[in-house]
Amino acid sequence: MSDFLLASQNREPLQESFSDDANPLSLDGVEFIEYVTAAPQALGHVLEMMGFRPVARHRSREVLLYRQGGLNIVVNAHPAAAGRASLADDSPIISAVALRVRNARDAYHRVIDRGGWEVPTHPEAMELNIPAIHGAGGSRIYFVDRYREFSIYDVDFVPIPGVDPLPPALQGVHFFGIVQYIGPGRTFDWVEFYRELFGTEVIPDEQRFGIMPKGKLLRAPALQAANTFMLQLIEPPLDAGLMGREYLQRIGLGVPDVLAAVEAMRTLGMEFVEMPAAHTERRGAITKAYLGSVVFELVHSEGRA
Amino acid sequence: MQRRSMEQAIAPFGMDTITLAGPLEAKLDAIQNAGFSQVMLKANDLAGHPQGWQAAVKAIRSSGLRGTGFQVLRDFEGLSGHLHQYKVDIAKTMLEMCAALGCEVMLACSSTSTHATADLDAIARDLRKLAMLAVPFGIRVAYEALSWGRAVNEYTTAWDVVCRADCPNLGLGLDSYHVLAANSALDAIDELEPSRIFLVQLSDFMWQETRTFEERIATARTYRVFPGEGVHTQQLVEIVLKLDALGYAGDYSFEVFNDDYVQLPLPMVAERARVSALWLAEDVLRRAAPLPNQLRLRR
Repeated sequence: MSDFLLASQNREPLQESFSDDANPLSLDGVEFIEYVTAAPQALGHVLEMMGFRPVARHRSREVLLYRQGGLNIVVNAHPAAAGRASLADDSPIISAVALRVRNARDAYHRVIDRGGWEVPTHPEAMELNIPAIHGAGGSRIYFVDRYREFSIYDVDFVPIPGVDPLPPALQGVHFFGIVQYIGPGRTFDWVEFYRELFGTEVIPDEQRFGIMPKGKLLRAPALQAANTFMLQLIEPPLDAGLMGREYLQRIGLGVPDVLAAVEAMRTLGMEFVEMPAAHTERRGAITKAYLGSVVFELVHSEGRA
Repeated sequence: MQRRSMEQAIAPFGMDTITLAGPLEAKLDAIQNAGFSQVMLKANDLAGHPQGWQAAVKAIRSSGLRGTGFQVLRDFEGLSGHLHQYKVDIAKTMLEMCAALGCEVMLACSSTSTHATADLDAIARDLRKLAMLAVPFGIRVAYEALSWGRAVNEYTTAWDVVCRADCPNLGLGLDSYHVLAANSALDAIDELEPSRIFLVQLSDFMWQETRTFEERIATARTYRVFPGEGVHTQQLVEIVLKLDALGYAGDYSFEVFNDDYVQLPLPMVAERARVSALWLAEDVLRRAAPLPNQLRLRR
């Protein structure tokens, strides 16, 4: 390798993604992730062990907003929501990802034009109508453009009295990515889906983050480089027979110091997997599964503080 | 021949519900009793069921037969404005029906509409959109050239469109009837990518030629016969052997529309299908059927 190639990375500051081609939806990261569950308190307890705090309640539905730093998690226990995704048992599921875009209407129409599948939403009076399309396994992908001057939560949510509405991030936790389990032989269908509709790009197989390197890794573009996020597509192992269920399996969180973050979360009661195949190290860590399905992965990432 | 060996031999072949008369449950029984393990389903099997479409889904799912695929989305591509939007809505409902059946392949046949453009890039763009709609359901779209399609009426053009669309869950549906009726050269089969052939439908017919679109339509809808029963046996064998040599490992379904067969008792028609499937498996493809009770070790 020549000096030129070695030095090229430091020659100029990293360019933020600005071209329309590279970011056709003007994506700018993830606004919130939603779980559907019949056991909101138990899930809330798990989230609190990860450093999240409940900050607001939905005006008309049994929905709570948890937050830390720039991360928002919506816990939806509204009875009508529980039926919309295939709940095999009572385990919570990741039911939606809300993407920040410059203009939700434009983004939504662009995606529909290219084969996105619109989901009817039913806002109550004075609530926002957030456009959505079908994602993996009955989940939804929302488009949100009100995240700068005021937020969607100002309209639909009422703050919980006496709590800090902006709790700081534990150990610099920030959003890193989502892991999606897919059916056998389905990798390229989903790669194409996310590329066509969202402008994601596949990251070379040599480049991996954290301690769970399987599958294909896609990077979503963002208006601000710090808001890019990853999508990891994982097929079942070859000997797994017809284990084909597709769903959003876990959330990946970036932290500047994995060991310190694991220590801080352990203090809150969170347990991490410590097995030869997967265990806490500087690159990453993974929590045990709570409530049958809720897993968080920590990935070393300087990212947003 | 023992029944189990016979069933294994004809496992790659299936019947279509369109070949048989009568209620859905009777068709499924006849197909299964003849030894088939798969069935190609048509949208009106569901829509026309007296107890409603979900009862039809239940009957199919409980029959034990695997759905080869679901047919057929017509005249989808090349439209604009309201017509396009209308067809997208139809396509979405059909994808939902296909998903409810657990079928992994939905057949879309080339447009016959004079309102549709003949621009192959526009056709490819629409099919790409259809394929995207199908991704969350895990459905693959097989695009087939009708021999009386307006812009796309040969499998070579359909393949061109599939290549232009360049989408992993969009592939080719190959129907021997349309290949033979359009008198398409068979050499181009060698150029196809076997993993992108999502479905092969087989049938023959009784006359040597179908020159006009009208003749092709009339023959296709009333006088198709099972492979081995028609006058193009040699070409049909060539198609199957070429696909086999190419490495095609997918399903073959018998797309036999025949006015006589829909007024015969179902077991007799299913028996003709079984004879045809056995002939293809043993005499044409020479597939080795495992001997009964033979111990087979996994490698």
